[in-house]
Amino acid sequence: MTIGPTIALFPEASFGAALNCVGIARALKARGARPVFICHAGFSGVFAEYGFQEYHLPLADAPVPETYWQDFISRHQPHFNLDPADQIETYVAPTWDAIVETAEQAEAPLFALLQRLKPDAVVLDNVVMFPAIVRAGCPWVRVISCAETELPDMNVPPYLSGLPADDPARWRAFIDCYNAAVGPVHGRYNRFRSRHGLPPLAEGRFLEPSPWHNLLLAPSVLRHDRQRRLDPARFTFLEGCVRQEAPFDVPEFAAGEGPLVYVSFGSLGALDTDLIKRMIAVFATFPARFLVNVGAFRDAYRAVPDNVILDQWFPQPSVVAKADLFIHHGGNNSFCEALYSAVPSLIMPYCWDGHDNARRAVETGTGLWLHRANWTAEELKAAMRAALDDRGMHGRLAENARLMVPESGVELAAERILAVAQGGSEGDVIPGSVPEFG
Amino acid sequence: MQVTGGKSALSRPRQNHLDLARRILDLARERGMGPGAHLPEQFLATQCNVSRTPVRAALKLLTEQGLVEHAADQGYRLASGVSLAGGLAEPLPDPEEAELAARIIRDRAARRLDETVTVGEVMRRYDADRRTVLKALGTLAEDGLVARAPGQSWVFANLPDSLESQSDSLDFRLILEPAALTTPGFALDRDRAAALRRAMVALLAEPDDRLDGTRFGQLDLEFHMLIARGASNRYLSEALAAHHRLRGLPGAVVRSNVVRLRQAMLEHLQILDQLESDQLAVAADLLRVHLRLSRSQRPRAANRGVPPLAIRPAPREG
Repeated sequence: MTIGPTIALFPEASFGAALNCVGIARALKARGARPVFICHAGFSGVFAEYGFQEYHLPLADAPVPETYWQDFISRHQPHFNLDPADQIETYVAPTWDAIVETAEQAEAPLFALLQRLKPDAVVLDNVVMFPAIVRAGCPWVRVISCAETELPDMNVPPYLSGLPADDPARWRAFIDCYNAAVGPVHGRYNRFRSRHGLPPLAEGRFLEPSPWHNLLLAPSVLRHDRQRRLDPARFTFLEGCVRQEAPFDVPEFAAGEGPLVYVSFGSLGALDTDLIKRMIAVFATFPARFLVNVGAFRDAYRAVPDNVILDQWFPQPSVVAKADLFIHHGGNNSFCEALYSAVPSLIMPYCWDGHDNARRAVETGTGLWLHRANWTAEELKAAMRAALDDRGMHGRLAENARLMVPESGVELAAERILAVAQGGSEGDVIPGSVPEFG
Repeated sequence: MQVTGGKSALSRPRQNHLDLARRILDLARERGMGPGAHLPEQFLATQCNVSRTPVRAALKLLTEQGLVEHAADQGYRLASGVSLAGGLAEPLPDPEEAELAARIIRDRAARRLDETVTVGEVMRRYDADRRTVLKALGTLAEDGLVARAPGQSWVFANLPDSLESQSDSLDFRLILEPAALTTPGFALDRDRAAALRRAMVALLAEPDDRLDGTRFGQLDLEFHMLIARGASNRYLSEALAAHHRLRGLPGAVVRSNVVRLRQAMLEHLQILDQLESDQLAVAADLLRVHLRLSRSQRPRAANRGVPPLAIRPAPREG
């Protein structure tokens, strides 16, 4: 029996990146490869449930309090209500600190694991580079499953800014503020790279493009008009990476009729039960049926209206396909699933690239943007009505889905990854050399 | 939990009698019985692993529904004109209070009803009279789903619809289900096993985008109920059957992705292979593996930049 190439996928510990990679891994498996997953021990189980071998990086030694996540949300909830510029100091810089610390802790065990595994290629879906991957000596492919803004260009608004594409005058101030805030951790990260033989990265950058291949999860309807065209030999745009799930039967509601609205803010958003309770109170007065993903916190809710159904997990792509409106946090995976099924998005971003996707949804007429907390009941209802009733938006979405659905992102990604694993040559992209703003 | 209320229990069909009536119809179907076929009480009691008293109650219920006829000198027979063709579980019409009971438990699972409710609240919500509400609550009490609290209040039991309770459920099953197979005297209902195999193979033949999760849930319950019913120890059998009834309640379903659904069905078939070959110890081992693999290991929450942490019920050794 011939065993195909071993592809080690290493997504960051977030459900969006993880499920994006699951879709790609299933396509790799169908092509005869042996996809395996590298994950942090605290993020285990996700891939095994899809039938993939998992290799765990050890947890930090410190004991984890049971209240960790509640403490996290309590600490950051006020920050999530801030504008992107005000989140730089309060959320983004501390998050980069945590990311770099995790990369440092992962380095030795990751290097040892890659030496044992000897994969034919590594697929990295993350926001930070792990030197162990370069040191492993095998080709590696970068997946950019965040918004396209993660890969800078003179014509692309700054990453995490949520700034408009047509107002570059405001970009410089954001970038200066960003670079100043993340400067200390960026310095720490470059020293870490240097210790392991990697060149430093430009200001504000934590991950270079792969010299072999790079996959961008950016449907054409959202793409920016880049000043410097990305070399198609090294960069492939994907029209989404929507995975196949079992069909979803819309459950019977105790009462209510009308359009079906699916609400999910991801696992982090589910922790903010107060916000979801506020929304449910509005849903009770709106002529629609609502499916709300509340994660592990169903017991936090009472007197749930008859037109609302809560659950701890939904087969999201199948649910979105049945929905008339998808209210989400702007995660790139969620946004792509909405586009794939031609469903309008009402984006209420918390942080990170959610702001960029919310802005882009408005700019491209594929969705609406509402502040996550600063709304009245009438404003939330008006936003839902607008998204449900906008015929022009529905037409654009339908037209885009006609292009997007046949262009299977997972198949294209698998094809590119296998080409690299089976002898693709290293190109001439020098780390950190992709043209960028500033 | 004690049955409360002390009212006319004989006048309403109990949930376990409804279940038994469905099993009798299944059995008749699997045996290829036609209209007029004799339904001996002792035979049914043996096949269903219960005493004759509940069998009589179930047959009486079927008689009331017109599916079975009774003659004093001939016992029970399938009624003329009854067709048993169809799926594994012929739906039996529920009486008014059973339907109300189902709505109550569905609404509790959906958190529309609080943990404690008063009879008045239930009457208003469902526009039902006091007698019907009390009967419905009584039906739920018999299954341990609700208990009478002081005054006019009723308090719901913990439903197996949270990550913690679902983890406890798997621990419970890891203890009892393999034991059901390895305790001497396990009797496989081979007709039911064959019918289940056909149904599971048919489900597996569906492509991913048509793999019906609801149908999977039904077959999963049927499969594990088959093991419960085959146990020789009646208390073990009853405990497992009661637990599977809880698992069948709305909200208790553990949703899984399409890959895990398919894998779980393959594991069922492997266990069936061993059961039908009388390799009970091997079947019990495979069952342990199946239950361990069925435990959701997903983290509750994760986010970029947050050290990934396993905040979830720790798996226990079964």
